[in-house]
Amino acid sequence: MSIELGHFALVLAFAIAVVSALGGLLLWRRGERLAAVLSQAAILQFVLVAVAFLAVVQAFVVSDFSLALAANHSHSLKPLIFKISGVWGNHEGSMLLWVLILVLFGALAAAFSRSLPSDLTNLVLGTQSLLTAAFAGFTLFTSNPFARLSPAPLEGGDLNPVLQDVGLAIHPPLLYAGYVGFSICFSFAVAALISGRIDQAWARWVRPWTMLSWTFLTLGIAMGSYWAYYELGWGGWWFWDPVENASFMPWLAGTALLHSALVMEKRNALKIWTIFLAIITFSLSLLGTFLVRSGILTSVHTFASDPTRGLVILAMLAVLIGGAFMLFAIRSPALRQGGLFAPISREGALILNNLFLATAVGAVLVGTLYPLLLDALTGTTISVGAPFFNFTFGALMAPLLLVLPFGPLLAWKRADLVAAGQRLMGFAALAVFLAILISALAGNSISLVPIGLLLGFWVTFGAIAELIERSRLGRIPLAESMRRLAGLPRSIWSTAIGHMGLGLTVLGIVSVSAWETELVTTLNPGETAELSGYVIAFDSFEQVEGPNYLADTGAFTVTGPNGGTEDLMPERRTYVASGTPTTEAAIQTYGLSQLYLQLGEPLDDTHVIRVWHKPYILLIWIGALIMSGAGILSLSDRRVRFGVPQTARKAKPEASL
Amino acid sequence: MPRLADKRLGPMIFWSIAIAITAIACAALFYAAAGRTVNATTSEMADQNRHFRLALDAIEADERNGRLDASQAVAAKGELAREILRSKASPEVAATKSLGRAPLLFGLAITAALSLGLYAFLGRPDLPTQPLTERPELLAQSLDLDEAVARIEAQLARAPQDLRGWQVIAPAYVEMRRFADAAEAYRRVIALAGPSADLRTDLAEALLLDANGAGSDEAMDQLELAAAADPAHVRSRLYLASESMRLARYDEAQVYWQQAIDLAQGTEVWLPAARQGLAVAQNDGVDTTAAEQLEMIEGMVGGLAERLYAEGGTVEEWAQLVRSYLVLNDRESAQRAYDSAVDAYPAAFDRGELDTLALDGGLTLNGDDR
Repeated sequence: MSIELGHFALVLAFAIAVVSALGGLLLWRRGERLAAVLSQAAILQFVLVAVAFLAVVQAFVVSDFSLALAANHSHSLKPLIFKISGVWGNHEGSMLLWVLILVLFGALAAAFSRSLPSDLTNLVLGTQSLLTAAFAGFTLFTSNPFARLSPAPLEGGDLNPVLQDVGLAIHPPLLYAGYVGFSICFSFAVAALISGRIDQAWARWVRPWTMLSWTFLTLGIAMGSYWAYYELGWGGWWFWDPVENASFMPWLAGTALLHSALVMEKRNALKIWTIFLAIITFSLSLLGTFLVRSGILTSVHTFASDPTRGLVILAMLAVLIGGAFMLFAIRSPALRQGGLFAPISREGALILNNLFLATAVGAVLVGTLYPLLLDALTGTTISVGAPFFNFTFGALMAPLLLVLPFGPLLAWKRADLVAAGQRLMGFAALAVFLAILISALAGNSISLVPIGLLLGFWVTFGAIAELIERSRLGRIPLAESMRRLAGLPRSIWSTAIGHMGLGLTVLGIVSVSAWETELVTTLNPGETAELSGYVIAFDSFEQVEGPNYLADTGAFTVTGPNGGTEDLMPERRTYVASGTPTTEAAIQTYGLSQLYLQLGEPLDDTHVIRVWHKPYILLIWIGALIMSGAGILSLSDRRVRFGVPQTARKAKPEASL
Repeated sequence: MPRLADKRLGPMIFWSIAIAITAIACAALFYAAAGRTVNATTSEMADQNRHFRLALDAIEADERNGRLDASQAVAAKGELAREILRSKASPEVAATKSLGRAPLLFGLAITAALSLGLYAFLGRPDLPTQPLTERPELLAQSLDLDEAVARIEAQLARAPQDLRGWQVIAPAYVEMRRFADAAEAYRRVIALAGPSADLRTDLAEALLLDANGAGSDEAMDQLELAAAADPAHVRSRLYLASESMRLARYDEAQVYWQQAIDLAQGTEVWLPAARQGLAVAQNDGVDTTAAEQLEMIEGMVGGLAERLYAEGGTVEEWAQLVRSYLVLNDRESAQRAYDSAVDAYPAAFDRGELDTLALDGGLTLNGDDR
């Protein structure tokens, strides 16, 4: 009965969402009492969808194959963790996870909105419920995870082996939390447009949500990238795959939103642009969902291609995004732009940031959609590959990185560029020196490499400049400086740390792109190969049996340039239920660099071995982790907690309803 | 008896729980409206004032820290003052009447009706859950093959006349690759149940598998008997045809291939192979298809190479070109094509198949050590 109760819970949540959406959007002026009902409804939606989700998890765990979803995507021999994560390793289940996170954010918004003006609460929760109704409705009517089978099969169809990895337990929930978190910003934008309430207070409510979603999205993308790196077995960490782009575009737009909301909060400027970005960011999240879920793209993310579903998502997309933009077109001329400032100022720098990020979104969007549109309209298949993205995106990011360290040093309103430049001079010199030194040591001629290194060091060191400036390090006694550092607001720390993370990621990317080495060869047990000073000895080969797969395992001993030896065991697995093979590369970390060893296909009586040396590759993900850490730090700053701080209120019982 | 009761009771229990959940949810919403009493307008005013106060504090703090000079601070304060005036002047969002009882109850009624109605349409309250561990069919399945075979063998040792036992164990032996045992089992079945074309072919199949490609006279006899016994038996004819090919008896092979093809419906998977076999047999065992293939490849390679070198192409097309050169034994051209492909696709991720192909063909990889 638990499955059917879960099904009913989802249906009830859908019904509550439909009624909440209508109530919230049509009766939004009905004040506090409606707000109380909508908040309660938002929390109920979360509880009910959570029950539905747990019912599906339970069915997967006990291998109840009367649930069609479990029969199609689970297997009784799967380890427990993959039974659980397999719930969202398919189309229906991932839609359910999407709805779960959507209502989770709705419930959080309800819980933290107690001090919000009631009209705003009503509109935000109404819009949020509209989204829930749309996605829960889509789930129930076109991809119901609760479809049953009678009689039930005795064994399930198993999960795509590539997805049988802890990555599936972490990457989608984080990514969805990022995607869906922006729905709150979207709802706030719609509420602002309808109610006409658009001021600094609005920005102060929205910014923590943006920060939270951005932090999750950063973690989700970084996790996805690392997962692809170690699981796909090709040593690549970013492929400019349309699905990756689909998650990267909201990230870029969200980064822009984060910065423009800052201007709006502090200076009451860029209001219309910020609203526009909030709508764009969530629209890009929806577009990503559409691209991935419609089956237009084929990848590990596409679980089923069903044209009907694609059309329904497209229609939803058109209505939600089109409606929001129409609202924007009608209402935005009535909104007041505010706050004047000189071009050289913190605002100016942030606008520059927005300009470059928005253009980058445009470039990635064109590169992603153009081949799809061309294919749909003319039937010509072209592929827009990494060279296009590397070039356009790189060209857009270089100037952004160049001006980035100036931003935090400029004052609001009107700033002195020369003074900021002077303060950065030392760091610029240090970055130039390091870039030249490293390039000379590596024997690079004039190329993009030293420029990339220069930008990476420049951003990394420039990020610290504000900390040093604020603490007056070197100009006053050290102890005093430390005290000043400790006393700095967390927002300043988070800015510095976030920008430093970006610089480290850039350094990692440059280093791997420039100095990665690769070796493809055939080896037999007993033979050795050599790459970049590492000696790789193939010791033995055997076939072993896993819980639900058979594996060819190679035992290798790798001797590093400094003499230490490590044992590596790459595998090629064949999963019994589906018969599909996966490669499990062996990765050995040396400091920040990694040696990546893949056991390739068997060839007559020998084995194809692929080895990569990836210098400083870990910086890419460490940088991303540091960026998310900065987001969390910023959220912990008391001043930007959700909404405004609670003000004491006297509650008095109302006489009648 | 208890299962029948379950079937009737299950949906009833389910519906009572569902209605109870709906009632609880509606009650929670109804009382939420009653529970909170706050003077809306004051809180909003307080909030606005608080916000402006914070902004003023920030300007003053900046001035103290030297981030704004005195004139800038005055300008900023002036702007803030204008902002406050504007917000006071703008018509307050009129707090219209509060949410009444009627729309609330109406909404709750719709919620209940929608959820129960929609579930009745979508749900299957009659289906119980079926965790794998609680399913009776499972027991039968959990026996593994070795165990089952051992049990049947023991039984057949006691009662060798058990036809059913031999029938079950014979295909199991084939599955376990114990072909000699399988052949013996089929002999027993034939002895006990009488011969049929299918059984004779099964026996021949086991014998041929056991001989591992070396052929078997007994198998040939059995196949001929089978074919003779049933003029519409395809399987025996296919075996006879391929065995005849192996023995270079092409005239006989032609006859059997032809018979099998005549018996086909037109959609069988073996049909293309049979047609090719017939063609080879008619040509006295010389396979002309290989020569034709070579000719075709040569023609195709010319066009493909021309296009790929001129305009580039997908990595699959390059792989095809390299493969073609390797088939034609033209190592030099294959190496040149592979190198050009690597230039076009520097990322190893893109050329997995191509690299394997090149390794297999003995080409030089990692030519340009970056």
